[in-house]
Amino acid sequence: MLRKDNVTALERQAKALRRTVLAMITGSNASHIGSSYSMIELLIYLYDKTLRVDPKNPLDPARDRFVLSKGWAVSCLYAVLAEKGFFEKSLLQEYCKDGSKMLGGSTINGIPGIEATTTSMGHGLPLGVGMAISAKIQKIDSRVVVMISDGEINEGSTWEAIMLAAHHRLDNLLVIVDYNKWQSFGRPKDILNLEPLREKWEAFNWEVRECDGHDFLDIDRNINKLPFIIGKPSVLIAHTVKGKGVSVFENRNEWHYKTPKGKDKIIAEKELAK
Amino acid sequence: MRTAFVKGLTKLMQDDDKVITITADMGFSVFEEMQSQFPSRFINTGVTEQASVSTAAGMALSGHKVFFYAQAPFATMRCFEQIRLDVAYGNLDVKIIGSATGFFANQLGVSHFATEDIGLMRLLPGMTVFTPGDAYEADWATRKAYELSTPCYIRLTKAGSPVVHNKPIDIELGKFIPLRSGKDASLFVSGSLLPMAIDIRDALAKHNVSLGVYSLPTVKPLAKEEILLQAKLTGNVFTLEDHNIVGGLGSSFAEIFAEDRTGVNFYRFGIPDKFTNITGSVPFLLAHNGLSSEIISQKILRLLAINH
Repeated sequence: MLRKDNVTALERQAKALRRTVLAMITGSNASHIGSSYSMIELLIYLYDKTLRVDPKNPLDPARDRFVLSKGWAVSCLYAVLAEKGFFEKSLLQEYCKDGSKMLGGSTINGIPGIEATTTSMGHGLPLGVGMAISAKIQKIDSRVVVMISDGEINEGSTWEAIMLAAHHRLDNLLVIVDYNKWQSFGRPKDILNLEPLREKWEAFNWEVRECDGHDFLDIDRNINKLPFIIGKPSVLIAHTVKGKGVSVFENRNEWHYKTPKGKDKIIAEKELAK
Repeated sequence: MRTAFVKGLTKLMQDDDKVITITADMGFSVFEEMQSQFPSRFINTGVTEQASVSTAAGMALSGHKVFFYAQAPFATMRCFEQIRLDVAYGNLDVKIIGSATGFFANQLGVSHFATEDIGLMRLLPGMTVFTPGDAYEADWATRKAYELSTPCYIRLTKAGSPVVHNKPIDIELGKFIPLRSGKDASLFVSGSLLPMAIDIRDALAKHNVSLGVYSLPTVKPLAKEEILLQAKLTGNVFTLEDHNIVGGLGSSFAEIFAEDRTGVNFYRFGIPDKFTNITGSVPFLLAHNGLSSEIISQKILRLLAINH
């Protein structure tokens, strides 16, 4: 269990990472800040408490794997990886700059700690299924955590993988749904309704939990022990707010596309100040 | 041809515990023995071609060497974007195996015909495209694909197809296999029409035309210099394949000849660029598309007469 002082430290880290991501995105006229902000607490928790990864040995065959299926939010993952020492923090300044390997989508191209090429929707979960099956066959105690967006649950390949994972009883697999209730053109409930989401996963033989994806205590309460139960894949439906942490970003889908500038940038910097 | 592949793959699985076979619910009366022999490394992923390819990529990222098998339209077209991004861009150790290519699912129609698969796979950077023409070539392709740690496509037909070679093949990747020499013209063939190529040669011999026959068990890569050398010997070159005239062996040769400005007389035999909306036996469907030894040998005679 997390202690109160742990939570305070993690919250401080979340605020700092939001500042880092803001600088990365505004520094290169990039986008998707809302998608990054909705999963910052989840990512910090995973890399702090869950994932058994070693920045000094990032390709250890026995490591846990984190697959960012919603790869367009990779700015947040880069910031966390740099914080953990996978690469120099100075590399973050190259994000989306001409000729850089720090792409705006999660891509295996030599950046340490990036486990999968995703960003095309519906790829991350089946990739994670393959990694989890491989670990089982090789009898390696390696866990796979896949972060998916709600929009990706539109994809047929995601549902194919949901069936595969349950059929193969992949209890070394945890999926986190960053359920910020926005997709590209609007709200899922207006575009392609996902509800009842919990019941859908349950019907597909997954063990399901739900949490507030911005509350470290709630995240910890739900995933501090994995798997949820033996013999089943686990899914955490994390209720989140797109653009969380900055008043002018929260629940405004334009920040899927736009770069914060002028007054919006000043407000963000002010609200995220130490 | 398919039997040779399964036999070869079974041996690889015996010798190397990193080899995985994934099938998208295909292979009834093909894979039963493999399934019982390797219960954890033979995986039937169900009819989930898109997730299957990504799953194969995930396994390759975790150190496995994965052969993914399905009927060719579903092994290559249904999941093309997964092959492109996860497998090809990742340069992963995944082998895509398409069965019943060309018109071998002859009764079912366009849904099951695979006549654009070579073109699609050839488009992908780093993809090796194998087009074996008989059981010996399929055996070679299976071994060669295993030796490579990079993405491959192997284009199979079905069990019981005619055997043309008489011994195991050992050639370098991209090179052609000389089957018959000829001084008037050269016919390069890839895939299941290999026996037809021999028939065309025999038909032309009766007209005193000497046709060399060369088999290409790969369409990508191609040994460009050797092909050009061979082509210039007679100056008359033909290609033959059961694939759309666009995108396959013929297109590859056209690219080579155009850039080299060889001036060789060149003609492609393949499936015309239109869909086939009738049913029938494989030879019937091929002939309907202008692919029979009679039609082709007559056409070659006319072309050679024009050239002379």
